Amino acid sequence: MSKASKTAGLILLAGLLLVASACGAKKNDAQPSPSAEPSESSTPAASNSESQAPGEKIKMRVITITTDENRNNIMEKYIKPNIAKALPNLEVEFEPGGGGEDMANKLKTLNASGDMPDVFWDDAGYFTPLKSTGSILDLTPYIAKDGFLDKYAVPDALKHFDGKIYSISSGADTYFTPVIFYHKDMFEKAGVQVPTTFDELIGISKTLKDKGMVPAVTPGKDGWGPKLYMLQQMIQIGDPQAMADLVANKTDFNNPSVKAGAARIEQLAKEGVFPDGIANLDYGPAMEMFTSKKAAMLWMFTWELPNLAKDDTVDFFPFPSAGDAYDPAKFVQFWGSPLNGYAVSAKTEHPEEAVKLAEFLAMADALYFESTGAPIALKTGNPPAESSPLMKKFIDWYNPIPTKIPSLALNSLDARTSAELSSQGANLLTGEYSADKFAEAMNKVWSENTWFDN
Amino acid sequence: MKYLSRAFWLLAGGTFLFPLYWMIAMSLKSKSEAYDNPFGVPRSWDWQNFSEALSKYPFFSYLENSLIYTLGTIALTLATGSMLAYCLSRMKWRFNAAALFYVSMGLIVPIEVVVIPLFQLIKLLHLKNSYLGLILPYSGFAMASCVLMLYAFLRSLPKELEEAACMDGANVYQTFFKIILPIVMPALVTQCVLLFMRIWNEFPLAFIIAAKDRFRPLTVGLLNFFVNVGVSDWGMIGAAMLLSSLPVIVVYLAGNEKIEQALTAGAILK
Amino acid sequence: MNKYFSTKMSIFVFAAPALLLFTVFCVYPLLPEIWMSLHKHDGFRSLGFVGLDNYADAFNNSSFWTAHRNTYLIVGISVLLGLPLSMALALFMDVQPPRLRRFFKSSAMFPAILSVTVVSQIWVAFYEPNWGLFNAILKSIGLSSWTHSWLTERRTVMPSIGLVFLWQYIGLNAMLFYTGIKTIPKMYYEAALIDGAKFVQVCMRITIPLLQDVIKYVLILSTLGSMAFYSHVRVMTAGGPGDVSRTVIYQMYYTAFDTSEFGKGTAIAVIFILECLLISFLIQRFVAKEKLEF
Repeated sequence: MSKASKTAGLILLAGLLLVASACGAKKNDAQPSPSAEPSESSTPAASNSESQAPGEKIKMRVITITTDENRNNIMEKYIKPNIAKALPNLEVEFEPGGGGEDMANKLKTLNASGDMPDVFWDDAGYFTPLKSTGSILDLTPYIAKDGFLDKYAVPDALKHFDGKIYSISSGADTYFTPVIFYHKDMFEKAGVQVPTTFDELIGISKTLKDKGMVPAVTPGKDGWGPKLYMLQQMIQIGDPQAMADLVANKTDFNNPSVKAGAARIEQLAKEGVFPDGIANLDYGPAMEMFTSKKAAMLWMFTWELPNLAKDDTVDFFPFPSAGDAYDPAKFVQFWGSPLNGYAVSAKTEHPEEAVKLAEFLAMADALYFESTGAPIALKTGNPPAESSPLMKKFIDWYNPIPTKIPSLALNSLDARTSAELSSQGANLLTGEYSADKFAEAMNKVWSENTWFDN
Repeated sequence: MKYLSRAFWLLAGGTFLFPLYWMIAMSLKSKSEAYDNPFGVPRSWDWQNFSEALSKYPFFSYLENSLIYTLGTIALTLATGSMLAYCLSRMKWRFNAAALFYVSMGLIVPIEVVVIPLFQLIKLLHLKNSYLGLILPYSGFAMASCVLMLYAFLRSLPKELEEAACMDGANVYQTFFKIILPIVMPALVTQCVLLFMRIWNEFPLAFIIAAKDRFRPLTVGLLNFFVNVGVSDWGMIGAAMLLSSLPVIVVYLAGNEKIEQALTAGAILK
Repeated sequence: MNKYFSTKMSIFVFAAPALLLFTVFCVYPLLPEIWMSLHKHDGFRSLGFVGLDNYADAFNNSSFWTAHRNTYLIVGISVLLGLPLSMALALFMDVQPPRLRRFFKSSAMFPAILSVTVVSQIWVAFYEPNWGLFNAILKSIGLSSWTHSWLTERRTVMPSIGLVFLWQYIGLNAMLFYTGIKTIPKMYYEAALIDGAKFVQVCMRITIPLLQDVIKYVLILSTLGSMAFYSHVRVMTAGGPGDVSRTVIYQMYYTAFDTSEFGKGTAIAVIFILECLLISFLIQRFVAKEKLEF
């Protein structure tokens, strides 16, 4: 009896193991990834040895942001077709990382478990934890040695405040700023003019609404718009100095000018400038509402300018002023942060090759943005492409502006402050939440902000 | 009255099917029509969404991975879970009540809570980048509901079955596999369907552990598709949603009949 | 028979594999979890032992209580509204003509087989305030004043999400009840019907009492399932606007991942697990505690 039961038990366990090993074995067969087409003819014997045999490819893992149309175009048109030729000794596996919080959570989890990819898109939002665990490589010696650094118009702009370079990008970021895109024909139909003051903006919105159009859209879900640009913009159209002070941690949310900015968002929501449900509107649908001409205005960063310029009824204007202290020709906010770009893991086994890969990716970004006529900081060696009239108009306005205020979202917030600003910003957009409550809640978080501690 | 009640049932059933209609309708609409006419019947049939979605979405590779995860988890969970449930409901063991309570705790631990320690464990066991890296934790997490349900069914079976088998000289293993398992087949099939739905659609753990594209299941692939490609193109989103849901719908329709048959079989045996 | 059945060897063979799997992958990870909740932890390393500070912090946070209110609202909806409805569906389904029953069964369970991502995405479109289905219907029947921006108004957002959850799982629970009903030997019914009992009486006196184990199972499953309510919120509103639609798991996730305070996040997780333990204990203790023998 006992023997029989043992036998049966063993058979059962063996069965389980069989299932297990069948599942395990499957993946070994699938080892070579589809992209590893070339060098198939290399001797099979060599590939078994542990050492780096000549002709053997180094494996690299890359996590990139995959949030918008631009990123897709870069991957499909500039990275995939060229990578095998540019870096023949590498076998690169790309992992789409999503963007925003998804991307941040993914990298934080990978870092916590010691499983960082060789190359990844770095972002101010998760830079600090990566740096404090020594997971991010200082690129300075590598890119100084191979001359990549010299391709930048202003190499110093790449430096973090500790003097090291952690990320390399096309430099297109510093030309990204929020503006108000609008459909000229819709404005004409409603009989309204481009506003120059905040009150006029409210006024034309009412007119547009009366004519059955949605006056303005912007992504509002999870506080995207308020956090990334709107709060800053609404503060600085009244008092640019207060905004510059806030970014530099010289003032807080008790500042009357800062409160006034929040109150303007509350007013915009209450006056119906945005459609119902703006606080839950995603990026894609917001874009769609504008491009399909349901909404007359789109409040958006200029990274969408090349795509929007394809429609020749689209024009843009800077945010109108809410006081004498602000003039759109004198102050502007900009998106750039030296931390945004391709970074290399400090724990990679092949730092030299990984840096080369990061350089290739940054160059792919540059080639793409250059082809759209956008200004970039990384020299590609190509003659500049023909810019669209809208792009020309943008550059002529943007370049001469003397005071460029860096983005609050990228340059002043630790993870918690950033997350809370998202929630509080979404609250403001509902129109059911007062600016005073907002200021009170933000002040508490702001007093505990650790960004400026080190 | 009779017709009224039938009409009610048809209508109620219809509300549950509406999303299927909506997905199909969406997948046939062009980008602009999806916004102008979001809930109506498509004006013209635009199959392009499917070919476009397929070209940007490695559907078949994800499908294969999803199948391996799901079937592997079902096999492992049902094999081990049904044995434990039998042990707890029939065998005289000092820790029966304790073990049942212990396992039922598993119902309350949401997978999201333990993602980081779980990930470290998978790495420690060298299961990362293998299908087992997801199958084993899935199985561990599905154990509670599987054991509890089978326990409930086993408990309601008459003891005479085993007593008779025992008289015939069958040992415990023979009794379990030859007599008990066939009787609880309806419950096993139901559990199979439940597990299938659960694992097929699992997201948080797969997102973290199956990091490599080669090991990704459909759900993770679908989200990537939403954020990377679809963005605002509801037609393509509809096509991708429909494609991804299709296997589960097919299995469900097939499994549905099986449940019915198994149920009648179970009833006859009684 | 017991002596012959329940040898140490057979108990081991039957119990060990499942218990091992369960312990290693489901229970063990809780240990690092508890350790983290007692530390200031950023997800990568401990920044020092802080005792119960993280727990105190959780209790002093208004979002924590908002999240609890929302979570228990969902539990209430799915248990007090959902389960009776599911039971009623199952009982009525049992007496419908086969073709209608088959149609209804297949369709009622359909939402449950779709992934949460898909279902939530679809309902976001239904709730959309400008072109969405609900507002369109309300406007077309002249009830424009009843329209809402369902997912961004503080009063409507949680009930709206709750409805989706109810809708998605009501058919699944009905199916579970129905499977249970089918395993009840026909003779019990027949005996009762011969005695002249009415349908409702048969249900109340025979079917439901005999279903105790299944009811308990479904009750635990849907109580705890709705306590862990998270994915719908993630896709539909991202907890918004502000913290208005966060559930406990969402708050835990938000605290740990979004604000990088893993110590505080895991403290919420531990509190939550204790709550769930308590609730499942109460169900085990007070529902269907007497053994049913056929």
